[in-house]
Amino acid sequence: MRGTAASRDWRPVLEGRDLSFIHPRADEPAVCRVSLSVSPGRLLAVVGPNGAGKTTLLKLLSGSLTPQDGGVTLDDRALSDLGDRERALAIAVVPQSESSPFPVTVREMVGMGRYAHLGPWERSGDRDRAVVDDAMARCAVAEFAERHLGELSGGERQRARIARALAQEAPVLLLDEPTAGLDLRYRMELFHLLRELRAAGLGVLVITHDLNLAARFADRLLLLDRGRARARGTPDGMLSRESLEAVYDWPLRVVPHPGPGSDTGAPQTVPLRRDDP
Amino acid sequence: MTHTPRRLALLALVVVAAGALSVSFGASGLGPADLWRFFLGEADPTTRSILLQLRLPRAALAALVGGALGLCGCTFQALLRNPLAEPYVLGVSGGAAVGAVAVVVTGIGLRLPWSLPLGAFAGALAAMALVLAVARRASPGRMDTRVLILSGVIIGAFFNAVILLLLSIADVESFRSAIFWMMGNLSGADWGSTGLLALLLVPAALAVFSLARAFNVLSRGEEVAFYLGASVQRVKLTAYLAASLMVAAAVAAGGVIGFVGLIVPHAVRLAWGNDHRLLLPASFLAGTAFLLLADTVARLVLAPAELPTGVVTAVAGVPFFVALLLRGGRR
Repeated sequence: MRGTAASRDWRPVLEGRDLSFIHPRADEPAVCRVSLSVSPGRLLAVVGPNGAGKTTLLKLLSGSLTPQDGGVTLDDRALSDLGDRERALAIAVVPQSESSPFPVTVREMVGMGRYAHLGPWERSGDRDRAVVDDAMARCAVAEFAERHLGELSGGERQRARIARALAQEAPVLLLDEPTAGLDLRYRMELFHLLRELRAAGLGVLVITHDLNLAARFADRLLLLDRGRARARGTPDGMLSRESLEAVYDWPLRVVPHPGPGSDTGAPQTVPLRRDDP
Repeated sequence: MTHTPRRLALLALVVVAAGALSVSFGASGLGPADLWRFFLGEADPTTRSILLQLRLPRAALAALVGGALGLCGCTFQALLRNPLAEPYVLGVSGGAAVGAVAVVVTGIGLRLPWSLPLGAFAGALAAMALVLAVARRASPGRMDTRVLILSGVIIGAFFNAVILLLLSIADVESFRSAIFWMMGNLSGADWGSTGLLALLLVPAALAVFSLARAFNVLSRGEEVAFYLGASVQRVKLTAYLAASLMVAAAVAAGGVIGFVGLIVPHAVRLAWGNDHRLLLPASFLAGTAFLLLADTVARLVLAPAELPTGVVTAVAGVPFFVALLLRGGRR
């Protein structure tokens, strides 16, 4: 089970085909016939209005929910055939929120990312500690390592949770609104971190409400609306005024990012005020 | 984590000291000097037999029951993600009490020597099976924590009613001994019951210790634990079975001794944090030391008569815990 050098180069494709899911007692499916793949070295952003099925889609891809129709595969294996630890070594997830009645320190929290790497009686070794230190450094929480989560700001806590997912060393990373509660600087830092991970060969899926950062950082976007894939493709091709206005039901304009920077020209969404002519 | 071995060694020293204290004092007036002579092999036969037949098995039983209750409290808190959970929260004590009281009231207890602990053990196991069956039936495939607590509380309340029913038809003598058992006391200690308890305790405690890291990730919620690679349902079921078995055995041996399972893990949490790799063994050792001391007090205060140990744990434990809370709040 220990991550070997060979397995650290493992770059699987996580693929969902025709995924459908209806919550118990719901009338409409939360997700309806959506296909997508999270490929190594790619950053995929899933966008869409509240209640569009983004979180349900992430839970289907991570194995937390089982689709009623369609299937999820990791390379050629069905996700449901993987054991719990095996799955966690392949896919790391940062869910939207969590709480605990028992306070822990940042170091303990990030150390939990090593769970799948260690047997029940195995003590964490030098490598585990090095991975945890590295994950804390990358998420800029190393200076709070010994503080309790409850003493940190919302943004710092969020970064500690992302550090825990990095400590998992999984080749696929799924994040559910990781920028919620982060200020301008840390939102930028986070998307830069996702770009770095993508460059290192990870397959990254991020759910976000920030259309503008998604357009500047993601390779591809998937626009969900009422459980269905409404549009998909590169940011340039897909973020059009027509599709966004239809999905969000709000007047807006799409303008090119003025620059400077390598992402000059990326489509930026500007919602209009209702009282404007 | 680097402090773990040192802290556990410190606690082990406290346990040894508490054990020595417990064995040194008692109704017969033997003191620490006699204990020392016993260890040097120079004690007279009476001293030897008092130590070997009375004090040592009693200290060993107090140690095991205290350790089991501390460990179970910690386990139920992790399992139910609730810092107020204690070993008896899921109706286990109620079931044990029904078994024990039934044995006493029907008079079986006077005729068969082992029937009271066996009745308590059977009652505890029956309660646990019933609670688990209801919880699994009501939340198929996932053993919902809230359903588990609710069914435990409800079934516990039912058992309490059954106990009152049994007591109301009991004669004065069995009423008295049933009440005395329910207050928790270790006066029935002998090597047989202690050995049996140890036999059950060791595998169950090992099973719980092996879940320490799983409890850590489970404390962040079941969804997070799943993403981190924990087999959530298997962990919950193992923890439930192992802890319930330990509580059943502890109650059968020592009656219903409250507060240890609630206070001891909390004291350890407040002092050393919530990493279960330290918390679980530390709760076991601290429970051991706490009950050794409480039982020593129970034997001495009214000597040659005895207080029920459960009374001492509550009277001594509550102020101690309040002091800890106040200190923790100021930090």
